[in-house]
Amino acid sequence: MNTRRWLLAALLLAGLGISGCATVHPWDRDLLAKKSMRFVPLPHETAVDDHIYFSKEGSTGGMDAAGGGCGCN
Amino acid sequence: MASPCEVLVDTDDDAAAGAALVAAREEALRIERKFSRYRADNIVHAINHSEGRPVEVDEETAGLLDYAATCHDISDGRFDITSGVLRRVWTFDGGEQRPDATAIARALELVGWSRVTWRERVLTLPAGMEIDLGGIGKEYAVDRAAAEVAKATDAAFLANFGGDLLASGSRRGGRPWLVGVDDPARTGAAQVMRIELTRGALATSGDARRYVIVDGHRLGHILDPRTGWPVAVAPRSVTVMAATCTEAGTLATLAILRGADAAPFLEAHGVQHWVVA
Amino acid sequence: MTPRWQLETTGLIYGEESRATVVEPVGRLTRLFENGRALSLGLTLDAITGASPTGALPTGQVVTTTSASGHTTTSSADATPTHPFQDFRGAVDLGWEEPLGTLVNATTSAHYSQEKDYASLGGGLKTSVDLLNRRFTLTVGGGVNRDRVFPVGGTAQGLASDTAARIPGDNPKQVVTGLVGLSHVMSRRWLMGVTASQARETGYLTDPYKVISLVDPVTQLPVAQVTEKRPSERKRADVLGSSVYHLEHDILYVNYRYYWDDWGVRSHTVDVKVRHDLSETSWLQPHVRLYGQSPAQFYVFGLTHGPPLPEFASADERLGPLRTATVGATYGFHVPGSPGEFTVRGEYILQWLVGQSAPQAANTTVGGNGLRGAAQAAGDDQGGGGRPFGTNIGSLLIGYTVAF
Repeated sequence: MNTRRWLLAALLLAGLGISGCATVHPWDRDLLAKKSMRFVPLPHETAVDDHIYFSKEGSTGGMDAAGGGCGCN
Repeated sequence: MASPCEVLVDTDDDAAAGAALVAAREEALRIERKFSRYRADNIVHAINHSEGRPVEVDEETAGLLDYAATCHDISDGRFDITSGVLRRVWTFDGGEQRPDATAIARALELVGWSRVTWRERVLTLPAGMEIDLGGIGKEYAVDRAAAEVAKATDAAFLANFGGDLLASGSRRGGRPWLVGVDDPARTGAAQVMRIELTRGALATSGDARRYVIVDGHRLGHILDPRTGWPVAVAPRSVTVMAATCTEAGTLATLAILRGADAAPFLEAHGVQHWVVA
Repeated sequence: MTPRWQLETTGLIYGEESRATVVEPVGRLTRLFENGRALSLGLTLDAITGASPTGALPTGQVVTTTSASGHTTTSSADATPTHPFQDFRGAVDLGWEEPLGTLVNATTSAHYSQEKDYASLGGGLKTSVDLLNRRFTLTVGGGVNRDRVFPVGGTAQGLASDTAARIPGDNPKQVVTGLVGLSHVMSRRWLMGVTASQARETGYLTDPYKVISLVDPVTQLPVAQVTEKRPSERKRADVLGSSVYHLEHDILYVNYRYYWDDWGVRSHTVDVKVRHDLSETSWLQPHVRLYGQSPAQFYVFGLTHGPPLPEFASADERLGPLRTATVGATYGFHVPGSPGEFTVRGEYILQWLVGQSAPQAANTTVGGNGLRGAAQAAGDDQGGGGRPFGTNIGSLLIGYTVAF
């Protein structure tokens, strides 16, 4: 069971690598330079959300390594 | 009343529910203060310390005494509010007992509603005798508290004082109140069945909790005032449904007092009942 | 002039229908130094009041008992039994970011939080490396938390009557986490990333306030309660795939996370946001999040009274077959003439459990014939049943970010 899941992770990773054959030149980084072109465009909202869903659901993770602890899960 | 008393009100209106609960509590406390035999400042105390002199009672007390008198008649003397004196002879602690026949005989001289003069709101109790309204007081309190709650709110409610209860009507959506019948063998921890109640009262009388062992036989704690001994072969619990809690409670008690005859007695009276043997 | 400070403040007002209300102000101040070094200090305050489900079963109808002994049991109606609580939590965290060369960045962080019955101390380290002409970024991180749980009134013995004596003292809990992530610039408009993380928790993992209803086998109605008990170890893992794609004018953010742990909980999360610029200085970002979870192995709605209790059991809905759906939107704008950006977000969250909710019970209407009546009538009439567990939550989040 566990191996199946890590396989999923490896596949996603591979997919990442394979389809990324397009070259992105430095002058093509106009859009990418925008502050909103990040995985977490609004960190203060995501931090609050992480806390809300951490206390209301059974799952964790996805974002930060050393997040804060609280007695809510 | 020595038991938890609850009133359940089916409403979203916090204020109305609060008012209803306060009304119920005030009435329950009033009745307890007035009729408890443990207090030194009420009519029951006055009666029990009247030393044979006549005592005039108020209308409410008169009503209860009339009711007790009727119960005494229809039960052929088994229901008797003067039988409290017998508790001095028996200790229902689950242990072995060899009761003293002389002590019982002496106590029986102070027992018997027939020795009491009750006429036109005047009660004359011979010296040494006592009355105890505990047998009907709790159920009466349920009925009175229910009347007060009905004045305070239109919502459906159920009043449950220590296992004797009255429901005023079906809950919202036409749904009944669900009442579990306590399993006397595992009281408070299990139920033997479930009753759906919309309007009416349920009272349960039982003999399972306190007992005494005589000659190797286990006897319950409900005493027959005619003999001074516990009722033989009483069911462990009897639940009766009636229009008022007082009625339900009395019938349940009378049924238990008949011992093995409990079920036929209730059938003869035509009331819904459940007997747990 | 390059800004030297950055301030982010957020205020959350969150309300669950008939349950908890939370007010949470957060502030973060970052001091930026040359060479990209930064020191940030964050402060979070949490005030929670309201009611939390106890884990006991809603009976579907009001239940009370008639008895000769004076012992009555009454449970309230359709609403899930809850207990009121009030808590106040403060948390502080410190972070230091240090570039190591042009391609490597390291962040160290430490945090401490304290509330009435829980204290947490932890730290972490995260490093990211840009590879292949900055087309790939590899991130590796880890963290440790040392927590203490000290429930109000002492710790309940697991799977014991909820009136049994409680054990005074602290219960330690330790969490070790690690993550590995790879992000890839797919094209001029498209950024993708995969992160895998693992965590191992040991120590006191039970919720000290939750109970489980014991249901009478005959009437199917709750007659008693026991406290819950969870294993003292939990291994968690998850994989997160993220995509940021710049369309003509809008930006589309899509996240998918698959989570699993050795308690049997597995979940899928899909999160989609679209950022749409309304003008030079304002934008709107609608958001949808869907979540589904399968229950822990030892999750139960209730236990039957009589048979021996299992080794572990919990009726905490957060370990159950839970679904969450969130819909909301953020509106961001700059106030002309002043620096900084405001964000206002409104969200609605719906959460529910699938499967059995209120117990199905044998039915006897008045007129039954004593004990025999109950047995004969055993069957499917649920008498109206209960509402399945569900919560509605509304939240309002206001933020302000400014650099100076």
